[in-house]
Amino acid sequence: MSIDAIQRSERRESPGLLRKWASRHGWAVGSVVTGLAIWEIAARGFVASKLFLASPSQIVAAIGPLWRSGELQVHFYTSALEFVLGYGAACILGIALGFLIASSRRCKQALQPWVSGLYATPTVALAPLFILWFGVGIFSKIVVVALLVIFPVIINTETGLRQTPQNLVETVRSFGASRRQIFYMVSLPAALPFIFAGLRLGIGRGLIGVVVAELFGARAGLGQLIQQSAETFNMPALFVGVVVLAVAGIVLTSGFVWLEKRLVPWGQD
Amino acid sequence: MEASVKLTVSGLTKRFGDLEVLRQINTSIGKGEFISIVGPSGCGKTTFLRIVGGLESASAGTVSLDGRVIDGPGRDRGFVFQQDNLLPWRDILSNVGIGSEIAGIRTPEQRALTQHLLELVGLKGFEHYYPRQLSGGMRQRVNLARALAVNPDLLLMDEPFSALDAQTREIMQTELLRIWEEGRKTVLFVTHQIDEAVFLSDRVFVFARRPGRLQEIIGIDLPRPRALAIKRTPEFVALVDRIWKLIEHDVRASVIEEHAL
Repeated sequence: MSIDAIQRSERRESPGLLRKWASRHGWAVGSVVTGLAIWEIAARGFVASKLFLASPSQIVAAIGPLWRSGELQVHFYTSALEFVLGYGAACILGIALGFLIASSRRCKQALQPWVSGLYATPTVALAPLFILWFGVGIFSKIVVVALLVIFPVIINTETGLRQTPQNLVETVRSFGASRRQIFYMVSLPAALPFIFAGLRLGIGRGLIGVVVAELFGARAGLGQLIQQSAETFNMPALFVGVVVLAVAGIVLTSGFVWLEKRLVPWGQD
Repeated sequence: MEASVKLTVSGLTKRFGDLEVLRQINTSIGKGEFISIVGPSGCGKTTFLRIVGGLESASAGTVSLDGRVIDGPGRDRGFVFQQDNLLPWRDILSNVGIGSEIAGIRTPEQRALTQHLLELVGLKGFEHYYPRQLSGGMRQRVNLARALAVNPDLLLMDEPFSALDAQTREIMQTELLRIWEEGRKTVLFVTHQIDEAVFLSDRVFVFARRPGRLQEIIGIDLPRPRALAIKRTPEFVALVDRIWKLIEHDVRASVIEEHAL
């Protein structure tokens, strides 16, 4: 092989960064761009009234005024605060309850019917009740979010702790491990991928909780922005709320997947 | 035959409910001996090993190691499992070191031993790999190193090579002998494969089934160190043949039973 041939083959093996990126994300980008284009064309050409659908360009244009007036920031901040507090409380409490249920048969018997029952219940339907009880401020929203997030967290924590691989328990036991050591060396790390999956499920449910609770009555928040825009038939502003929520959901979930890959690398196959 | 007795088994019996898995096992094993246990499925050989390991309790009789009766797992024994059972969230180094970690030992000597064992099993440079990044053969080497890392008096091996392909298995047998020659630990090795038992051992314990019992002990007087070529000598073949004839009837019976299930 001549030097020239080696150089050529090396060049072939390392395509440019752009090509690598394109081969990895090309189809995703293409599909999103196409979807937006169809949306734009449909909104301009086929939907007669602006009261029914806003085009992507109108939505982008609507962000400017909402941002400059400071309205969007207030809505975003309010919803974010409700989400963070509700989600955080649910995670801490949910993991603790999951441990409790997994560790004692009596606790499991006492709590299991509540957990299974409430997990299956569409608890968002109770949002108006919580607003009645706790007022239109952020506390009622935090309760709704926490209630939606907590059950997958409890169930996954408990499942993970119960599915400790017995062959690994036996292995550390053969070295004389105590119950405590078995828990920290085997049960807990084995449960982590399950716990993380529960926390990831909770993100989507928590975001739904924020919006739905705000729809039923709030002073501010993205759900309130959506509700108020719908009442005034301001479609571009309504879609700004939806888009911000969608982006938040995507960012949170993918951030979580990233974190998961680093914290529990053995959970991936 | 041997200078000092390491393990004494007297009147060992094990029942699971109505099923008598082991009946009246009596034997003793000398320090530094390599003992293999062969027998058909259901002869209780693995149960025997687990009782010696303290993972199972005896229904009657005792097993004593250096005169002390065994009543649970301990660091004087190292167990090599059939599946490698490595903790997937620990790298190779901390998998090998888990025995000393459980005992709370963090001395430079222990670290040096762990490092030395990784070298001995041919995994130097893989300290910070995770189990899923290694092949089956490499993982079994880690399994062995983990058991040796507690510096046990007695090494208990439960069909450790049965999950490996035939070639890897032969290599692992010679590797095991090489490692064993270095420290000459007392070894109890359970296997299905007669040629593996003959190749490795000083004595082969032949177990029979229904109930599980020690049927016969065959001394293997082949010279050491042994190379794989020894498997083709007439003496070796004759020994394998003799053991096979001892268990043939039982193996046929167990195979028919398994198919009937």
